[in-house]
Amino acid sequence: MKGIIVLFLALVVLVIVPAVDLAFAAGDEPGEYVDRRVIIWNLFFRLMTVAFVVGAVVSGTIIWQVWRFRESHPKAKPTPYEGTDW
Amino acid sequence: MVVELAKPRPIWQIMFSTHHTDVGLLYLIMSLAFLFMGGALALIIRAELFLPGAQIIGDAMTFNRIFTVHGTTLIFLFILPFASAVGNYYVPIMVRYKDMAYPKLNAIAFWMIPPGGALVWLGFADFTWYATPPYSIISAPGPAADMWIFGLKILGISSVLGAINFVVTILKCKHPDMSIGQVPLLAWSYLTSSLIILVAIPTFAAALLMLLTDRLGVSGFFNPAMGGDPIAYQHLFWFTFHPEVYVLVIPAIGMMYEIIPRFSRKPIYSYNSGIFAFVLLAIVGFSSWAHHMYASGMSFTEKTVFMVGTLAAVPASAMHVYNFIATMWNGRIKFSTPMMWAVGGIALFFSAGAGGVANAAMPLDFSTHDSYWVVGHFHLFVMGTIAFGSIGFLYYMFPYVTGRMYNETMGKVHFVMSFIGTVLVFFTQHILGLYGMPRRVFDYPPIPEWIAMNQIASVGAMIIGVSMVLFLINMIYSSGKGKLADTDDPFGVGGKYYYPFEAKNPHH
Amino acid sequence: MSGHSNWPEWIYIAVVIALMCWVGAEAWNAERLVEHVPEGAEIIKVTGQQWFWTFEHEDGTKEIGELHVEVGKAYKFEIHSKDVNHSFNIHDYVVLMDAIPGRINTVWFAPTDVGTHDIQCREYCGLIHYNMRGTLYVEEPST
Repeated sequence: MKGIIVLFLALVVLVIVPAVDLAFAAGDEPGEYVDRRVIIWNLFFRLMTVAFVVGAVVSGTIIWQVWRFRESHPKAKPTPYEGTDW
Repeated sequence: MVVELAKPRPIWQIMFSTHHTDVGLLYLIMSLAFLFMGGALALIIRAELFLPGAQIIGDAMTFNRIFTVHGTTLIFLFILPFASAVGNYYVPIMVRYKDMAYPKLNAIAFWMIPPGGALVWLGFADFTWYATPPYSIISAPGPAADMWIFGLKILGISSVLGAINFVVTILKCKHPDMSIGQVPLLAWSYLTSSLIILVAIPTFAAALLMLLTDRLGVSGFFNPAMGGDPIAYQHLFWFTFHPEVYVLVIPAIGMMYEIIPRFSRKPIYSYNSGIFAFVLLAIVGFSSWAHHMYASGMSFTEKTVFMVGTLAAVPASAMHVYNFIATMWNGRIKFSTPMMWAVGGIALFFSAGAGGVANAAMPLDFSTHDSYWVVGHFHLFVMGTIAFGSIGFLYYMFPYVTGRMYNETMGKVHFVMSFIGTVLVFFTQHILGLYGMPRRVFDYPPIPEWIAMNQIASVGAMIIGVSMVLFLINMIYSSGKGKLADTDDPFGVGGKYYYPFEAKNPHH
Repeated sequence: MSGHSNWPEWIYIAVVIALMCWVGAEAWNAERLVEHVPEGAEIIKVTGQQWFWTFEHEDGTKEIGELHVEVGKAYKFEIHSKDVNHSFNIHDYVVLMDAIPGRINTVWFAPTDVGTHDIQCREYCGLIHYNMRGTLYVEEPST
């Protein structure tokens, strides 16, 4: 337990504090001449790519198990809990 | 538990009862009445937006009033009272107590809702469900706005009283043999959501009073002309109402925790991770309120803090999804109507959550803020997750409440139509938002993409509307004339899992 | 409840947390880039009131309901409101900032192509909120 606390303290000092410092110091550097449309839509489409991949995995899993574990599936077998009080 | 429709009691016996199932029944009937009233307003809104130009409503003010009352009704008069209905029926039984801890307080909490609802509906205010100043102070017309403020005040007190009752019932009145770690997850969901209410609501209650005195002109808390700060109201409001989102969603998740193991014929995969996720969500839910206000001129640092707070709520929600999937795994799932609603609700829960992450990512807010994206996003939550869980649970408890079975085919048709409609309306609205259509508009310029997507959304809304009519017919007809239910195992899934089964409390 | 191994859930949660860290970092970086106004941006004062937009350029020219800007320059909007909350929005350029009485919010952009774009109000502001619209004209540089 003590070891974990020490480990977390070390992590906080080494990783989180500099990261937070960096985050709070943002805004000191001069602004660049950027096209906000490009940056924002780029971010949007990258996020959506990931979201749709994760979404496909999650909904694919749900759809597959709804199909596979339905009680009318040929391979459906009673769960170990049926007939007990669980 | 069963309302003996065969041997009807006089209506006043139910109305003046303090028994938890009677109060639950009152909550149930009233919340469903408001569901249909609020839903009718939604259909009017969608019909109006079917084409640019005025369609069925003559003027913008009426339209503004309609969407304000639509939102207020469905949040405060459908979702919250529906959760209280289920809680009233199930929580005392789950903790094995004869009633709620304070039966009279319980009845009072219920009877505060009709006057609150009446104030909202008779006033028909126009300042949107957040009543943002300075509009709500200097511009919103007459008694309507004040009636809304008083109505919300009453509804707020009612939910605080209800929350106190649930917390005391669960913590203090549970059976001595039962540790808190054995209380079923549905009851845990009421415990956590009630604790959120107790911490969150007072802030809004204070803000409402300040809003009222500002409207009366005796103070200037939020009125810049008197040195006040309109942003302060937004902070107070969202400090209550972001956690309130979790108040709405946690009981719905709890209802799914009741339905899914039952119809999978398996216990919940991990009871402990369910509790952990509820508690975590309740705590982390308080760290994200200002993500609603990115565009109000917040500094980069503030935005960063609230973005991190928002993203921190995701793992807890994801744990619930994992738990549901793992529970269904290797089960033998019977797809009765309640199970279909619950599984559909989980699928849409993911989409709603993913949209929420995109909203929280700071720069994307420049694109999505106050657009139809936001409308689509939170409707996926309230309709796709919360209403789906709630309606599923209504089908689930129907045989216990009425002693009769609903019509299974109609229930399934209701689900399929609602699911298709929900996807059509709210996914389309996300895209509509990306095309830049602002929310809360009575009319819009004839941009072809906007017209096309508004029409898809309106058609979807009509599909939901038709399915809800089927639902109403099914509920009314089946409660009087449906097949008699086998109250020991109405769904034919076996096992002794039914809490209501153990509690055929006599009415007193 | 039942005894089972939980490692897939831990991996799942770790993946979710990692994804959220990635989202946060990307968003933070993009926000940092779009938020800081470049030096020499021309200031345009934007005033929202029920239910139209007024613009005042640095040289004192005022425009109502329409705004003329030039390609290749950076503009910084100083946005405020005279009555209730509004939200200044040029959706095509992803410019959005609330106009709030009693404070001045800023947002900047640099138009890249000649053309016209819609300006609209995104925050509910009453009766004619739906028609609180204007037009942005992006023109060739004059000199």
